[in-house]
Amino acid sequence: MRHRIFALGLVIGLVLAACSSVSQTPDETSVSTPAPTVTATTTTVSPVELIPSTTAAPSRSPLADLVTPIGSAQYDPEDHTDDRSIPVAISIEGIGVEEAPVLDVGVEANGDMEIPGADGVGWYRFNATPGEEGSAVLAAHISFDGQPGVFRYLADAAVGDLVSIEFDDGTTSQFEIVELAQYNKQDLPTERVFAKTGEPILTLITCGGDFNRSLRSYDDNIVAYAVPVGA
Amino acid sequence: MKKLIAVFAATLMALAIAAPAMAQSAPRIHLIHGIPDTPVDVVVDGDIVFADFNFGDTQDLSSLAGATLVGLQVVLAGTDTVAIDAGDVDLPASGNYSIIANLDADGTPTLSVFANDTAAIDAGNGRLQVRHTAAAPAVDVKADGAVAFSNLSNPNEAKADLPAATYSVEVVPTGADDPVVIGPADIAVKDGESLIVYAVGSLEGGSLTVLTESITGLGAAPEGVPTGNSPVESGMPLGMVAGMLVIATIAVGGGLTLARRTN
Repeated sequence: MRHRIFALGLVIGLVLAACSSVSQTPDETSVSTPAPTVTATTTTVSPVELIPSTTAAPSRSPLADLVTPIGSAQYDPEDHTDDRSIPVAISIEGIGVEEAPVLDVGVEANGDMEIPGADGVGWYRFNATPGEEGSAVLAAHISFDGQPGVFRYLADAAVGDLVSIEFDDGTTSQFEIVELAQYNKQDLPTERVFAKTGEPILTLITCGGDFNRSLRSYDDNIVAYAVPVGA
Repeated sequence: MKKLIAVFAATLMALAIAAPAMAQSAPRIHLIHGIPDTPVDVVVDGDIVFADFNFGDTQDLSSLAGATLVGLQVVLAGTDTVAIDAGDVDLPASGNYSIIANLDADGTPTLSVFANDTAAIDAGNGRLQVRHTAAAPAVDVKADGAVAFSNLSNPNEAKADLPAATYSVEVVPTGADDPVVIGPADIAVKDGESLIVYAVGSLEGGSLTVLTESITGLGAAPEGVPTGNSPVESGMPLGMVAGMLVIATIAVGGGLTLARRTN
């Protein structure tokens, strides 16, 4: 199969002529078509004078119904510009989080999400910004090097508590906690927590459950899911 | 006409056979127009499959996976002037492929087929696949000033998994710093996505540029979220502790009251 695919490149050395002013749709029964002048060289591409003539249109292939146009592959600078507003501070009503700084974070060498020290909250920059499609993930320590972390009391938050996110453009968005969950770390539903698509959801994560002194780690993750207020 | 029906029937059969396998990995075949300023019609067995196909346009041929395109020709739009005569073409039944109508190194129109790398990508990384499909000599591709891919020639590709970020990319002749023949352009390599960049057009014709497509959903979530390395005192926020004390006081007080009453 593979050689046949790669044997596609049988080409004839006709020079292509630009013929931009006339288009044709398969549904038309007769159309004006240009009669291009084909020059003999194979290296130059020259514009061609179009001389309209009337010919019968070729018929439409039954395969036409099985192919789908999917837009242009032309380079669009907008696709390559990250102009999202990014979160810079978070407040959570009821558990004493007031304008805690949010830093954008990625992945550690060992594959774990990067988490700032005791005083900061990490926003996972490879997922949504809060309010965008998919899950915006903010994580902070329950406790770091003996200091209480910003999400020290996340497990005590309640459904209905308000979360306020401040962005770098000075705007603020409100979210409302709709679900609290505790998962053994091995069972963290990463497809849900780190979902790239779906309804906008703000996912707040910290640790909880028993502290394992030999691993210096907690057994569980505490996760609070919040949705935009008014959504 | 008979032949046509035969092709159509074969296509339907191929689809029927492919259907159960699609749950695992649906075939994906895209056809990209990569020859600047050259509108074309795509013809199979003498009939137009799609007309007025323009530079940069993409058609999804996935539904034709496993079919044979009999007498595939690319003709100048609205004419019977054949630009590419590909003969009978068997489309793969499964897998992820891109076919591009492009100029070869000498400027002759051709169809090039590339198998796309859909291997899983580590969290925080994206894949960049660069394909030389332009009428131009071998090039170096620089990212943020350093050579990322060297001596890439038509019709070859180079690829790498990179930390997801936006890179300033420019294309120069192999071994040279200038002239910059494409770019510099910002290229965003996104987490979990493979960005495929085609160098297309003609150096001599002054039409060198890039086309892009991306394949999403190849990424992974972080391994874990380690958010605590020291134990906490079993405790609650002061406000909650105070609240509990109030409740406890009321409960005890109420209990005593009850106890008195029963006496």
